[in-house]
Amino acid sequence: MAAAEAETSALDFELFVTERADALLRFAYVLTGDRTLAEDAVQDALTTACARWSRVSRADDPEAYVKRMVVNAHISWWRRFRRRESPAADPDRTVPPSPDGHAARADAEAVWELCKTLPDRQRAAVVLRFYEELSYAEIGVLLHCAEATARSHVHRALAVLKNTLSKEGAEDA
Amino acid sequence: MPDSENGPEHELGPKFADAFQTKADGVRALQARGMANEARRRVRKRRHNLIAAAAAVLVVGGIGGVWTAVGGPSPVATSADNSSAGAGSGEEKAQAPQTDGTTCADRDPGISTQNYTQPPAVRGLDLESPVYGLLACRYRLVSGGTALLGSHFFSAAEAQQVVDSIKILPERNPALPVFKCAPEQARPQELIVLLFDTAQGQREVWVQYDGCADAGFFTGSRTYGLYAAPLKLFMIGNLRPTSGTYLDHLTGW
Repeated sequence: MAAAEAETSALDFELFVTERADALLRFAYVLTGDRTLAEDAVQDALTTACARWSRVSRADDPEAYVKRMVVNAHISWWRRFRRRESPAADPDRTVPPSPDGHAARADAEAVWELCKTLPDRQRAAVVLRFYEELSYAEIGVLLHCAEATARSHVHRALAVLKNTLSKEGAEDA
Repeated sequence: MPDSENGPEHELGPKFADAFQTKADGVRALQARGMANEARRRVRKRRHNLIAAAAAVLVVGGIGGVWTAVGGPSPVATSADNSSAGAGSGEEKAQAPQTDGTTCADRDPGISTQNYTQPPAVRGLDLESPVYGLLACRYRLVSGGTALLGSHFFSAAEAQQVVDSIKILPERNPALPVFKCAPEQARPQELIVLLFDTAQGQREVWVQYDGCADAGFFTGSRTYGLYAAPLKLFMIGNLRPTSGTYLDHLTGW
């Protein structure tokens, strides 16, 4: 009986990963801005989910549950410490020249580059707000901070983006 | 957006949303395959590690308990297997009554901070006297007292053999180095007291092999150098340290 339940649970988990892994990886990529970090974060989250699958599978939205794990893993102190172990060059805040000249694409690149310069929590708040479309209350819960703090994270990022885009506009003119 | 928002969010929010969506849609070759298997493998490994760690804690706890019962941990490592040393000590304490009925655990070794080198002359053994038995007690010297690390009872013949091998030794072993050290480092971490049964009652020889002040066999009136021959006669079981300042420079014990 227990063996049959374990088998069913394993199949459920396998099915969940097959169906949701791509979405989780895309979310993790947007959150981390790095393919390797994204794969690591998702793998860690899935490992935790696998260990607690009976609980995760009973959640209203298992995918959201695992995404929370991805966010937690990403903003945890030890993961930030690990990232410091392999320093990368400072990202450039300026927009790289757009080869095809499309303004929209240039804007997307500018925002993406800007996000690389944001602190982890600020970036996470922005991703949760504009990619996951969560409310500030939900973001606060996920980031273990007050709703006002989550709002502040997002607005600071917006202010930086506005500043960057205005500078570039002035340079172009 | 779930909340009603102000200007900057209305103005720039869609730029973030577009950028994230574009990047998310454009990303390729993220390795989704095999993640479930890898997750299960890591869970199994975590559980295995957890069980191994728990088992290690239990074993260490068990050894610690036995060791505490014996007399506390030694700062000088003992070569004997801990569990067997603990068990051996219990047996030895039970089978090692002195002629006056006392054991190492019962008696006050009379080692003080000021006097850790040799026994008072009145209690020291005259090596020319015959001996009828030996109780050896290994003590850890702790602040303000001692803790028993091990004990063993030796027969009259074995006791006499120990005496005979000591009394032929010179006052100092020239092969051992001379250390210069601060007074606090001079104090040995442990000491063995040899309690011989004699016609005059119990008489002592202290064996010093640790610290950096002096080493050898001390009778209270004479000193004999630290050599391997007598040591290997009684440094057995839980009486045997694996190291000591002078033991580290001595071979064949």
